[in-house]
Amino acid sequence: MTYRATHITTYSYSSSVSICHNEVHLHPRRTQRQSVRRSDLKVEPAPNYIHRHNDYFGNPVSYFAILGAHNKLVVTSESIVDVTPFELPGAGLTAPWEVVRDEVAMHETSESLDAFQYLFDSPHVKSGPEFAEFALPSFPEGRCIFEAAKDLCHRIGMEFKYDKGSTSISTPAEEVLRARHGVCQDFAHVMIGCLRALRIPARYVSGYLRSGPKMIGAEASHAWVSAYCSGTGWIDFDPTNDVTPSGNHLTVAWGRDYSDVTPVRGVAIGGGEQTIAVAVSVVPTLE
Amino acid sequence: MEVLNEPPPTTSPWEYSPDERYYDELASAPGKIRPHWRKLMSSLESIGQQDIARRWDEAGRLIRENGVTYNVYGDPHGTDRPWPLDPIPMIVSISDWEHIEAAVAQRAKLLNSILCDLYGPQRLLKEHHLPPELLFGNSGYLRNCQGLKVPGDIRLHFYAADIARSPDGQWWVIADRTQAPSGAGYALENRLVSTSTLPDVFRAAQVQRLAQFFQTFRETMMELSPGRGENPRVVLLTPGPYNETYFEHSFLARYLGYTLVEGGDLTVRDNKVFLKTLGGLLPVDMILRRQDDNFCDPLELREDSKLGVPGLVHAVRAGNVAIANALGSGLAETPALSAFLPGLCRHLLYEKLKMPSVATWWCGQDDPLEFVAEHLGGLVIKSVAPAFGEHPVFGARLDAKQKQELMARIRLAPHRYVAQEQVALSTAPVWSDGGLLPRHLVVRVYAVPSGEGYKVMPGGLTRVTNSLDTLVVSVQRGGGSKDTWVLSDGQPHEFSLLRQSGQPLEVSRATFDLPSRMADNLFWLGRYMERVESAVRLARCLAPKLTQEVVPETSEAVHAVAEVLRRSAYIRDGAENLEQDLISMIFDSGKRYSIGWIVHEVRRVAWLLRERISTDAWRVLNRLDQDFSARRPSEPLQLLGATEVLDQAILTLAAFSGLVMESMTRGQGWHFLNIGRRMERAMQMVDLLRFGIGSKPTSNSARLAVLLEIADSSITYRSRYLTTMQTDLVLDLLLIDEGNPRSLAFQLKRLDEYITRLPETKNSARRSTESKFILSLVSSIRLVEIGDLIQLQEDGKWGALAAFLDRLAEDLRGLSATITSSYFTHSIPAQQLKRV
Repeated sequence: MTYRATHITTYSYSSSVSICHNEVHLHPRRTQRQSVRRSDLKVEPAPNYIHRHNDYFGNPVSYFAILGAHNKLVVTSESIVDVTPFELPGAGLTAPWEVVRDEVAMHETSESLDAFQYLFDSPHVKSGPEFAEFALPSFPEGRCIFEAAKDLCHRIGMEFKYDKGSTSISTPAEEVLRARHGVCQDFAHVMIGCLRALRIPARYVSGYLRSGPKMIGAEASHAWVSAYCSGTGWIDFDPTNDVTPSGNHLTVAWGRDYSDVTPVRGVAIGGGEQTIAVAVSVVPTLE
Repeated sequence: MEVLNEPPPTTSPWEYSPDERYYDELASAPGKIRPHWRKLMSSLESIGQQDIARRWDEAGRLIRENGVTYNVYGDPHGTDRPWPLDPIPMIVSISDWEHIEAAVAQRAKLLNSILCDLYGPQRLLKEHHLPPELLFGNSGYLRNCQGLKVPGDIRLHFYAADIARSPDGQWWVIADRTQAPSGAGYALENRLVSTSTLPDVFRAAQVQRLAQFFQTFRETMMELSPGRGENPRVVLLTPGPYNETYFEHSFLARYLGYTLVEGGDLTVRDNKVFLKTLGGLLPVDMILRRQDDNFCDPLELREDSKLGVPGLVHAVRAGNVAIANALGSGLAETPALSAFLPGLCRHLLYEKLKMPSVATWWCGQDDPLEFVAEHLGGLVIKSVAPAFGEHPVFGARLDAKQKQELMARIRLAPHRYVAQEQVALSTAPVWSDGGLLPRHLVVRVYAVPSGEGYKVMPGGLTRVTNSLDTLVVSVQRGGGSKDTWVLSDGQPHEFSLLRQSGQPLEVSRATFDLPSRMADNLFWLGRYMERVESAVRLARCLAPKLTQEVVPETSEAVHAVAEVLRRSAYIRDGAENLEQDLISMIFDSGKRYSIGWIVHEVRRVAWLLRERISTDAWRVLNRLDQDFSARRPSEPLQLLGATEVLDQAILTLAAFSGLVMESMTRGQGWHFLNIGRRMERAMQMVDLLRFGIGSKPTSNSARLAVLLEIADSSITYRSRYLTTMQTDLVLDLLLIDEGNPRSLAFQLKRLDEYITRLPETKNSARRSTESKFILSLVSSIRLVEIGDLIQLQEDGKWGALAAFLDRLAEDLRGLSATITSSYFTHSIPAQQLKRV
């Protein structure tokens, strides 16, 4: 399936901004199941400088700076992306979760060494015993990693209430785990904390959902989780919608948590009060 | 200098009795002085205790006068403490030094190689020489810096090792400083003080000099700066005056000839770093940073950093600027690394590690973890990457329950903890009340890269504990310091980077490089200084009149001054009790519009300009601050006490402005200070007349006399016109007369001169907005006819005067705003954009 993804972020300021520096994760990355035909970034007012590079995790990043005074900033990214649906592994076809855990602990291969780094605390996710306690019912002895993680994803989807006003981007995962409500970022962080507590590498995926009424999180940036499943590689789980992403999720970037892949971050001189508006659309295209 | 709070030694003053449990640097046994200390001790003995004490008073004066200070965090009086230096130097023998020098150079090279690998190919992880937890589980690992190229493969441009000696005489490395090591500047300052107080002893002892080391450092920085070759611009980046070691930052910047900057002084344009100066943007090639790496860029590193430069990491990535030490180098400070250094040294350098680290167990591995669990009582537990303010835990101080809790915490995330042995630090004598007492010590030794490997500073910063019972060496916690003398076998050659005293310290380029932030602060220092003076003059004029018998003459004058005070918001509107309001203006320094408040403002701004304010000026300023913080005198004497305070304040202010003005080079900084002063004085004069002259003529000459008195122009007036008070003559003297240094015309003429010399005006053909403002002001003063201003209207009031004065006030405000926006716009705070 080929999608056209458009992501528009608009900042309006109560007083003028004289200089701003920004870094954006708005270009979908290439993955095993996803190829990017093109990804363009339009910034208004026109930036004085713009550079693109890949970050530590291999995500494309654009950096730009605007030096003239402005009261409004509009960042528009438009990408054409081919997504191949993911074939779910059959029951019991992935390794038992303990095997994955032990293999990563040994980190003998370059793949498991790479996965190893996703075991540790990150700015938004400080894992701990309370996460292990929540996760364990999904991880009985010998259960295959895919089934176990899918069950964990399901339980978060069922037991946590989707509630837009209840958290902010700085709410730590521990608090979400206690309060049992939040938005997609929070659910992703909780699931990451649970997996890490059991020593299963987990990363945060930032991306989009195909537009439509069926799922929560379309028309905005979405977030889900990827778990390391040894031989099968990384498998995605979307706890917000209780699904295993297949053909309707479009990956933009991944990292340890939200802080590594924030869609738009910036530092502005001046500006006063800011208001932000975001619009996302992901539609099939014949292009 | 700090006085050590100890009872005086009871035995003979020269008797020195070290504790046998520790290695003593001076004595191998009671009364048995080690050979390399003998020369020093016999020199000290021949100088005699009294003379040493006298010389040391002198040293204390030097330290205060040079403004050698450090700040103690969390202590309201902690800013600006004098640096504690002990008169007895620490002496290192030639053979000890050979060992230390080789070992520290080796360690610097080793840590640099490790950093280059971890931020590059990571072979050490892939080949299992180092557990990856040490990297991935360490918050000091900056992922954004992975793969960043550094010139010459140097990530450690300035390294320091803390070394200590155990009871068997063996030296150990107890900590590595790879982020932004402090103390080298204090070591230099210690040397300056000790050579000027003990010059004879120093010469006789054949001590190795320090200056060559800093010369090597400068050459290396030049060598390793990307791009511009010949004359790279290096800046020293400081977190600012509230940092613990700010003195050192400004001292080193001066010593090395680098511009001292804060994050706000730098800007990134097109992946290049520039210094914002009055002369425009100047390219920066290299940044010697004195702040932690994760604070350096609020865009890519810590977003809550107020100290950083947005886009800096991008500039480094593009290879346009180098940072010393490289961003991310703080990683190598982790004590966990010590456990692996012997193996890494063999692997990377094919050498044996020359000096061992203090015994270290990283809890991330099973065997060490069990060892730690068993021996917790004898170990010090540290975090792999200690957060700011996080202190190590001493196992010996824990009871059984606390030990259990600690072990439980460690077992939850063992890779985050390290256990180390506590070295029973050696001792050396410190001077206390004319005698010698043993104190524990740690020496910080510095190394910089050069063409032939790392070079080690022949000396260092020796820090001593404040009692024999503690093994924690920390100036923050009340310890002291010593100069460190490394002996040589030949005559060391003389070499100094410091300009001879008497010559100005400001190098010619530094005036050109004046950061806009400094100009801003100087402008406000000028304005606040003048504002204090004007407030004091108003109050001083009013105070005695309130005690005098009320006659119509004085009452008119009192009204005039009260009106000026009221409309300048020093006293309340419609106040019943003028006297109480005046007292409050003078003594309630916590009140927004009191004189004391403005004095605090002067002090605050002066503090931000510390490196440009002389010690004498500081002392004067502190006295002024104290005067206005004094308690109110009791009831009947209040006005008398007030007058005394005010009289004194006028003198103190004159002394302060004299010291500031006279000790500053006539660069752009001086111009901004003066623009501020002249601007404020002009505004105060216009306000004095607007609020004080009244709306219609009066036969009462007391009103005019009091205006002249406040404007400090009575003598000039009397010498010209004797005692006849006439409105037109007073207005002429205070507004138009360019010969009167208090007149508005005089201020405007000076402002015109200074503004013409500002960079923008000088460099551009078109007249800048501020020039237009000043031109309009000057010509309206030159063209005005006083007679027209005081022409009477039909209602018997002066028509044109009030309007004229109001217009002047408005133009002056406009001028001030224009200067602010042309030169200081960056002072608007930066903010993070919201995220979703």
